[in-house]
Amino acid sequence: MSLLEVAAVDAGYGAQAVLRNLSITIEEGSFVALVGPNGHGKTTLLRTLSGLLHPTRGEIRLAGRRVDRLRADQIVAAGIIHVPQGDLLFPEMTVLENLRLGAYLPEAAAAAPHRLEEVYALLPKLQERRFQVASTLSGGERRMVGIGRGLMAGGRILMLDEPSLGLAPIIIDQIYEVIRALAASGRTILVVEENAMRIAEMADRMHLLDNGTISWSGGGAEFLSRPEILSAYLGG
Amino acid sequence: MDVVLQILVSGLTIGAMYAASTIGLALVYGALNMLNMAQGALLAFGGYVCMYVMDSLGLPAPLGLLAALVTGGVLGLAIYALVTRPMLGSANFETQIFIATIGVGSVLQSAVLHLFGPQPKAQPLQIPGGLTLGGVTLPWQNVLIMGVTALMLAGVAWLLGRTRAGLAIRATAQNRVAAQLMGIRIGRVYAQVLMLSGALAAVSGVMVSSLSGLLPTMGADPMLKAFVICVVAGLGNVPGAALAALVLGVLEAVIQYLFGVQYAFAILLALVIAVLIWRPYGLFGTRQVVRL
Repeated sequence: MSLLEVAAVDAGYGAQAVLRNLSITIEEGSFVALVGPNGHGKTTLLRTLSGLLHPTRGEIRLAGRRVDRLRADQIVAAGIIHVPQGDLLFPEMTVLENLRLGAYLPEAAAAAPHRLEEVYALLPKLQERRFQVASTLSGGERRMVGIGRGLMAGGRILMLDEPSLGLAPIIIDQIYEVIRALAASGRTILVVEENAMRIAEMADRMHLLDNGTISWSGGGAEFLSRPEILSAYLGG
Repeated sequence: MDVVLQILVSGLTIGAMYAASTIGLALVYGALNMLNMAQGALLAFGGYVCMYVMDSLGLPAPLGLLAALVTGGVLGLAIYALVTRPMLGSANFETQIFIATIGVGSVLQSAVLHLFGPQPKAQPLQIPGGLTLGGVTLPWQNVLIMGVTALMLAGVAWLLGRTRAGLAIRATAQNRVAAQLMGIRIGRVYAQVLMLSGALAAVSGVMVSSLSGLLPTMGADPMLKAFVICVVAGLGNVPGAALAALVLGVLEAVIQYLFGVQYAFAILLALVIAVLIWRPYGLFGTRQVVRL
């Protein structure tokens, strides 16, 4: 059984379906990348998985348990953690308060002290900045808080929506070092990325989301070796 | 000098009355983007409940206050369950809920009219006498109003700053989507905020009516002032609203002394307009401009 199974899902905003008949499975411990042109449903898929949206058709299962009718807070408790695009930090709170909110649910709160140490070890900058108010951080620091806050929740699968968006190249390298380390630790990760070439070098599995559905799936190396996939992707 | 102190006492009393109901409004707007136009009717309801408990049931004043507090909380919860919840997620929520709460306000005001009649009544929660220091008299009634308000503000500060529920409320006010992604059940946060706001309004109504008496329409003026204060402070900013309430209360007392009661509100509004031209997002507002 796969950790996450999405079967024939339709979802969108109001009457307009963005995702159509979308199916995808994610294995425990794998590093999965979701690529594809902008506006074709990558963020909508993450929002549907985290319960901010509900599918109008199809099923989503986490470790066999149906989660597609649960509220967003229940899905967090079930273990799907969503680090949203643009970070969505709590702007008037400090770095530490933001991190603590990541561990808001009782189970995560119990593990918070040692998780905080893990987060600080992985992202030492956050320890330095822990009493700084989030709205005064740089873009790279904000991204780190967003990821750290997601890690505080624990969970079974970590979803990162465009972790490199809007950052300087040198900061993107740093963020991807962190993500690489997380993947190496055996965590299940689903990352949405614009830069397919970069992510293909790291991903166990790639899914191309095109026009609301998965049009191609395969290994990262395979993605790199098949120029026709890339050209279809770039041609979109 | 004595006159200055006298004005200060009277101004802080006015400010304290405004503060309690204003922070309720600010909390609700901050967490839900909901302007609660039923706030005035909640104020009146609280005042009448306290009067009923003390006069008709013959119970002591603290129980009257407690009854007002609880009734306000229950009414707040009812507004959430019957009005806010069904409208959440609808397009134009802000406009729709604004209009809907005007309706809730008239229903509540009619209920007060029906239950207690249209004649003015006196609020039995009175402490006669005062403390005379030098040439300045500090009426116990003012001490009571300031004391009760200070207690409520301290309670709200403790709740928001030191409890898990308060953390969830602050997180929801700062970013609703992120709050959900942290595992916060925002429906529950909305319910709690409306309960808290209703309770604050009801107690504030007891305080207002202890000075100016009970009338079914007594909530209109404090609610208008509370809105003005919220806008001046920056909509949704809770500590800013409390501070602005005290400042505007003192200002009102000064204007009343210098120019007379009839000019107080007009001059206050002129000052507000000036502030908003200078800082359209409010004195303490940091977020984008909210246009009403």
